[in-house]
Amino acid sequence: MSRYLLRRFLGAVVVMWAVATLVFFMLRVVPGDPIAAMLADVGGAEEIAALRAKLGLDQPVYVQYAKWFWNLLQGDLGASIYGSRVEVSRIIAEALPRTLSLAALSAVIAIVIAVPAGIIAATHKNTLADNAVSFTAFLGLSMPDFWLAIMLIIVFAANLKWMPAIGYVAMDESFWLWLKHLILPAIAVGTGFSAIIARMIRSSMLEVLSADYMRVAASKGLTNRMLLLGHALPNALIPVVTVMGIALALLMAGAVVVENVFAIKGLGRVLIVGILNRDYPVVQGAVLVVSAIFIVSNLLVDLLYVVIDPRIRYE
Amino acid sequence: MMATPIDAALNEAPRTARRSRLAAVLAADRKAQFGLLVLSVFLICAILASFIAPFDPNDMQFDMMGGPSWEHPLGTDDLGRDLLSRIIYGTQISLLVGISTVGIALVAGVILGLLAGYFGGWFDTIIMRYIDLQWAFPNFIIAVYLVAVFGPGLFNVIIAISLAFVDDFARIARSMILTIKEEQYVAAARTVGASDARIIGRHILPNALAPIIVTATVSVSYAILGEATLSFLGLGVTSDTPTWGLILADGRSFISRAWWIGVFPGLAIMLTVLSINFLGDALRDALDVRETREG
Amino acid sequence: MNDKSRNPTDPAHIAEELHDAFDFDHQDPMVGLSHHDLSGMRLTRRSTLRLLAASGMLSAYHLIPGTGAVRPAAAASGGTLRAGWAGVGEIITLDPAQINQVLQFQIMSNVISGLTHINADLIAEPDVAESWEVSADGKEYTFKLRKGVTFHNGDAFTADDVLFTYNRSKDPQQSIHGRVLKNVVDAMKLDDHTVKFVLGAPQASFLVKTTERASGRALSLVSRGALKSMGASQYGLTPVGTGPFRVTEHKLGQGVVLEKNPDYFDPGRPKLDKVIIKPIDGAEPIAGAIEAGDVQFVGGNPIPAQLIDRFASNPDLVINEKPGPGFQSVWLNPWHEAMKVTDFNKPLAALKKDKGFMVRLAIAKGLDRERFVKQARFGRGVPAYGSINPAMGYYYDKSLSETSEQAFDLDAARKLMADAGYPGGKGFPELELICTPGTKRDAEVVANIFKTNLGIKVNVVPKEFSVGIVDFNTNNYDMRLGGSGGDYDPDDGLVDWMQTASKFNGPKRDKVKHPFGYFSEAEADALIVKQSATADPAMRKALVRQANKINSDKVTCAFLYHPVDVQVRHKSVNFPDESRIPGLADLDRVTVS
Repeated sequence: MSRYLLRRFLGAVVVMWAVATLVFFMLRVVPGDPIAAMLADVGGAEEIAALRAKLGLDQPVYVQYAKWFWNLLQGDLGASIYGSRVEVSRIIAEALPRTLSLAALSAVIAIVIAVPAGIIAATHKNTLADNAVSFTAFLGLSMPDFWLAIMLIIVFAANLKWMPAIGYVAMDESFWLWLKHLILPAIAVGTGFSAIIARMIRSSMLEVLSADYMRVAASKGLTNRMLLLGHALPNALIPVVTVMGIALALLMAGAVVVENVFAIKGLGRVLIVGILNRDYPVVQGAVLVVSAIFIVSNLLVDLLYVVIDPRIRYE
Repeated sequence: MMATPIDAALNEAPRTARRSRLAAVLAADRKAQFGLLVLSVFLICAILASFIAPFDPNDMQFDMMGGPSWEHPLGTDDLGRDLLSRIIYGTQISLLVGISTVGIALVAGVILGLLAGYFGGWFDTIIMRYIDLQWAFPNFIIAVYLVAVFGPGLFNVIIAISLAFVDDFARIARSMILTIKEEQYVAAARTVGASDARIIGRHILPNALAPIIVTATVSVSYAILGEATLSFLGLGVTSDTPTWGLILADGRSFISRAWWIGVFPGLAIMLTVLSINFLGDALRDALDVRETREG
Repeated sequence: MNDKSRNPTDPAHIAEELHDAFDFDHQDPMVGLSHHDLSGMRLTRRSTLRLLAASGMLSAYHLIPGTGAVRPAAAASGGTLRAGWAGVGEIITLDPAQINQVLQFQIMSNVISGLTHINADLIAEPDVAESWEVSADGKEYTFKLRKGVTFHNGDAFTADDVLFTYNRSKDPQQSIHGRVLKNVVDAMKLDDHTVKFVLGAPQASFLVKTTERASGRALSLVSRGALKSMGASQYGLTPVGTGPFRVTEHKLGQGVVLEKNPDYFDPGRPKLDKVIIKPIDGAEPIAGAIEAGDVQFVGGNPIPAQLIDRFASNPDLVINEKPGPGFQSVWLNPWHEAMKVTDFNKPLAALKKDKGFMVRLAIAKGLDRERFVKQARFGRGVPAYGSINPAMGYYYDKSLSETSEQAFDLDAARKLMADAGYPGGKGFPELELICTPGTKRDAEVVANIFKTNLGIKVNVVPKEFSVGIVDFNTNNYDMRLGGSGGDYDPDDGLVDWMQTASKFNGPKRDKVKHPFGYFSEAEADALIVKQSATADPAMRKALVRQANKINSDKVTCAFLYHPVDVQVRHKSVNFPDESRIPGLADLDRVTVS
């Protein structure tokens, strides 16, 4: 088991390195001169050359790469090439909690809606309730998240004025404000996700409910509710765990667009803005961090699987 | 992106029975019928756009931000263009992107997966590593990155989105192969002296079709959503033809004054994706043994 | 407090002030002012205007007050102002040595002081200097500094800090504004509260730019103690100065929080307790924020045009509109086969026989600017025919809209196209119009105008600024939508853009293949050089107008429009007249009711 872990860990490191390297080279091969853009109004040719030299962007690509990698091994992710040259680690440290908050709240909303919905649909199969849940799930899956975000803003923020239209407040400052700012974005992101979970729970519950061991439990005289919650649900949740890994992908992708609409400076937005501005160090750092999150969560999911389902073993 | 359960059971029933089950499912499932209808309408719009659309989608002659009226059933946008015409032309790119990206991803992914699974060895290792690599990153961000780096434009968008789906197909094809490789009839075919290509083409491929088809339909809906999102972020197609995501992006600042600019393109996207999902569900019912057992 | 009675909106009065400001003997290095006029505890408005004019910094923009109701400053102080900073995702730095954007020094001006400061009445008044003396030859300035001024971190402010800032700004490794101090030969401390500067030659702009806290930035006084303890990087985020507000928080991408400096040298200012500044990127978020009341004031970049009407019709909001100092054009590549012009020096009549020039002129003439302003900018903007904008009051030539060869004339344009061999646009190649994602809408309108009026097909290609600028610099484009902002002086428009040697004129092109960038004309070059060195305002005006006319007639580019500058605030925010300094967002007298 531990050999497996070690192999996975090493594999993960290799993959992360590969991704970061690819991004490093691709970003530099591409058209677009951030230095010229930065100094377009202020500087002439000499200032541009000076700044380029100062940032080390005039050296050959492989030299830059070696330097970057060496710094990386020492934990230095470099600094943004714009303005006050803030360290990338700091930029990411400030952006990451926001995206994680958003993802977490979205996941919570999604689960809170989806689990009961899925259970109801499964236990009332083919009735109106089931069809309603199914249809709503389809709707949720089909709606573009940025569209939902815009509609939510128009209704709840601009017209009803229940929540603010933009921005982010850290949880440690004020829980209530944090919630108010994050609830609309979380709904926008979580809706598609909850649709997937609801459908998954429904089909997996159906499978579980018709399984043999359920009949055995029923014959033991357990009430319906105990059957449901104590036996059926935990088993039905197993496939949902798999989805969690993919959930992070969906949530991050959704978060990027939603962060854009709600003006939340999270990791997705940092990445996008960095790419558009050709802010090389920021993009590299963000890519590494996102990769890391991904790989780690996939690893955790696999491990969780082992714990939950004793039938699965890796060697 | 959603991964189809890799361990989808094999369908050993002969193809004809499968087809008639598909027809039966479609006849009974109203949602699927609805989906088929909507998609057909959109398809016709896409092909016959220049005949159906009342106006040129780029004509800025009309009143800016006029509400729905007889002359302009869906209203006009902030530059005075007829929204109905723009949405009709929008079907072209949306459907084109949806189908071509998945088509490319499917062909590329399946070939990769087949090769990896069938031949094994270092071939397999390389391809698996690549799949792992792509797994280490949210697909959508890959697409954003590629388009942002190489520039917007239809071709780049299609390539970028296709790339995001390749790993799904490769993974399925590969695991199908690995499972089937052990099956009886492959061994039987080989003893009779059938070549590798024949085995792949005649025996393996048709049986792997089911989960691939299902994945394809799901991917089409994601591709359409992806294109809309990319256009919304300003990283999408730049041609004259408007796409729904682009209409939303351009009109974003005006939606509060002109709700029709926000509602109709969004509805169009939603209807398309919904229809594909309905159809996909019906396909899954027809082709996937496990679910039909539950009835 | 405004102690002069004047009717600010009377154009005759504005013209009179302008005339007076420019009325000096160009051979007089002191521009008609005695050193007594220049010394003291403040300059009169007349003197300040004269100095601004002589330094090329005076424009009608400064004299025209904005439109919009103004309530007298309420007595109430305290409270928190929530402000949104438009058009930007984050406020990258507030270190005066690194600032290069208007939205940055708007904030910095509230935190850091200079020796002098120009107020809304265009009077150069003392900021952290108490008074100053100018020597008879105009080359020596002696400043007396206020006593008892402290930095936000408690350090005492003395002459040493002035020298520190001076030396820091002169060092190109530490500051990008070294050029501003080129004329300062020496700076010395006479005692703890007296500083003397020696100039190489009398300089009109010394008091109104070099020592001014916002426009010069070279002598915006920084705290050496703070720089040492927190480092330049952190200082850029949370600068320590002697201004009315101090920075208590700066979270990247989430904004800046300013709080009242209780030890500010003027006990009556600032009035607000706290200012929360959030950067807000995008038109819809800004609109959402101010309409929902999330923010009460919008600073930073100008707000998008489509929001102006929306805000104007909102009874809770007050908008303030001014002519903007800048221009936007459709640049036409003279090396493109269909629009090729290899020699602009020919007389106009001869040029008009060149097929390439005919096309170029046709495009400029077929550009319906009025329609563009109406459709793309919702009527807010002024059609442009040259790089000299209406905010430059004195130099602006209104008649160009009729006298220029570029003046819109549909029939003439079509005839030109036909004569060039493309009747109705037939046979004309498809062109690409490069723009930025932010100006895509404008570009679409332009493309549509060309299609409707001339029958030519233009494809809009949005590219990020950093990408598009490379194409522009290397002469690798068909058409490009772009221009300039912050142009207060004719030099900003002419020298920077219209000369063969202009820094934007194809600097990175293949000089063998393309002898010039987008334009090169000897007579215009000569005129532009001459006007830059001409101090006599009347003569300069004549030269500027001549150069501008050549640019217009010979189609340096197809000039499009001059943008307007609009600010918006909630009606509960009292923004007294004195605070409405052009280009700045000084909040020290602002109150919220």
